[in-house]
Amino acid sequence: MTVTFPQKGLPWLLLLPQLLVTAIFFLWPAEQALEQAFYQEDAFGLSREFIGLENFADLFTDPLYYQSMLTTLVFSFSVAIVGMSLALLLAVMADRIIRGKLAYQTLLIWPYAVAPALAGVLWWILFDPSMGPIALWLKSAGINWNHYLDGNQAMILVVIASTWKQISYNFLFFLAGLQAVPRSLIEAAAIDGASPFKRFWTIVFPLLSPTTFFLLVVNLVYAFFETFGVIDATTKGGPGQSTTTLVYKVFDDGFVGLDLGGSAAQSVVLMAIVGLMTVIQFRFIERKVQYS
Amino acid sequence: MTDVILEKVGKTYPNGYHAIPSVDLSIEEGEFIVLVGPSGCGKSTLLRMVAGLESISTGELRIRGERMNEKEPAERDIAMVFQNYALYPHMSVYDNMAYGLKNRGMAKKMIEEKVSDVAAMLGLTELLQRKPRQLSGGQRQRVAMGRAMVRDPKVFLFDEPLSNLDAKLRVQMRVEIRQLQRKLGTTTLYVTHDQVEAMTLADRLVVLNKGKAEQIGTPMDLYNKPATPFVAAFIGSPSMNLVDANLTEQGIHLSETLTLPLSHQHRGDIVWGIRPEHLEVSDERNADFALRIQAVESLGAETLIHGKIETEFGNGEPMVVRLSGPHLPEVNSLMWLTAPMSHWHLFDAKTQQRL
Repeated sequence: MTVTFPQKGLPWLLLLPQLLVTAIFFLWPAEQALEQAFYQEDAFGLSREFIGLENFADLFTDPLYYQSMLTTLVFSFSVAIVGMSLALLLAVMADRIIRGKLAYQTLLIWPYAVAPALAGVLWWILFDPSMGPIALWLKSAGINWNHYLDGNQAMILVVIASTWKQISYNFLFFLAGLQAVPRSLIEAAAIDGASPFKRFWTIVFPLLSPTTFFLLVVNLVYAFFETFGVIDATTKGGPGQSTTTLVYKVFDDGFVGLDLGGSAAQSVVLMAIVGLMTVIQFRFIERKVQYS
Repeated sequence: MTDVILEKVGKTYPNGYHAIPSVDLSIEEGEFIVLVGPSGCGKSTLLRMVAGLESISTGELRIRGERMNEKEPAERDIAMVFQNYALYPHMSVYDNMAYGLKNRGMAKKMIEEKVSDVAAMLGLTELLQRKPRQLSGGQRQRVAMGRAMVRDPKVFLFDEPLSNLDAKLRVQMRVEIRQLQRKLGTTTLYVTHDQVEAMTLADRLVVLNKGKAEQIGTPMDLYNKPATPFVAAFIGSPSMNLVDANLTEQGIHLSETLTLPLSHQHRGDIVWGIRPEHLEVSDERNADFALRIQAVESLGAETLIHGKIETEFGNGEPMVVRLSGPHLPEVNSLMWLTAPMSHWHLFDAKTQQRL
């Protein structure tokens, strides 16, 4: 659809607020990060020196950076896979029930409305080694829960907290996907002698594959870039570096370690990654299989 | 041999809605039965109950003497062709047809043989590797039939399989379905709302109205001796002219001034009917009544004349006349008609039954 405006000014005026937000909060900082990546700045921001690609060279020789990259990959794929599996399971169940359907669906969507930091705090309290109900329950079950000391447990905690927030989103898409599968296909498969389990794996799941792929990309992007709040509120990247993802490391090195140049260089790398993922996302989504 | 028996089969939904009060039907082996009726009459529900996709609330369904009520769709040895074909979009034509055989654990070699046999029969051999979205409507329809045929089931169920095709293809597929069914000799239950489809395909027709079987019989039975005004109106195109009338010793009073003489023992309110093709053009002296012409539809081979019976008060019953060949009477003119008694249909207005 094409809408034509009689005068040239109005469309720009209508676009202006969004353009301003984009410029001030996205383009300008991005440009600043690009610039800073080539400088070394003192801790107080009083003077700086152009050092070319040295920040990047440091970055790619730093074993901690590779460590963080590995952490990010483990974290992101855990969040994506756990989140999507649970969401699919919930969606299949919500699709089946007849009574109170709306109530379940509404409740399942709620976590999405919770702010990341609040979600983090929520799980941090639930898992607090000295007073968290879940931690105490685990202790009584013989598992010594202390995510302040155990890096693996810290990772599990951030995965749980991040996944919990993302499940609603995945759930909605899977539910919509399930509801778009024509009832007659399932019926035809039933007549063709497929058990409910087989029907799901041979008919429904393949038909959901466009949705699944879309969600995989979205979840990876989410886990890569949007989990700062959750991590900061639960583990602060620790213990040690065990939950320091690439994004958290940008913050940690820049604002805690005050290595602004190094932090900016990391941002540039992340920018490249997010750009790449966006390209992949659009490529595949546009090529999404059309079923008629 | 009786193949499928529906005994007082009824359907009540959990919300208390009686979709089907009670239907009795026994189908002979190899018979082609068409369930026909307007939308919402319960014909699809009845078919889905036979398929096992809807539960049977009351009564019993038997296939080859075995009670089927509690059996899963897969255990009933039936195959169904859906209105939207329900082909698995991510599978090739071959896999679509082989799916049911694979699920039943048939050997790969056997499956290949069966699928290629059926594909050859339906002219699908060239298309076996294609996906459903690469096929035309008619080809999809054929694949859906192939998928049903390959399993060699006891009963074929068709749920309005031709309603998504254009008019020309529909006629072609109709003929093809009939030929295939004759060749295979598989008992068939076919649902449609299209009475032409119903008449041309069926060995016997079941006319459903509000979940009740109004009449079961051969197409010609239903055409010649409709049991109720509903069947009379539903079978035949354009549908039968039905006029509320009153039967006395003088005959049938179609209106206060118009009486068709008849000696019949029944008295009271009746519905009088005559098919448009049975009305004959006459002259003023011999005519039974006159029609005030309101519209003329010329179809070349035949002409449909719509009008109202002319009475002194000018508000007579509407009536359609079907004449063969082209005719061009003036709109608003009068046309004199005779209604031969041998073609009359009389129904009791109260019981709605044929007299």
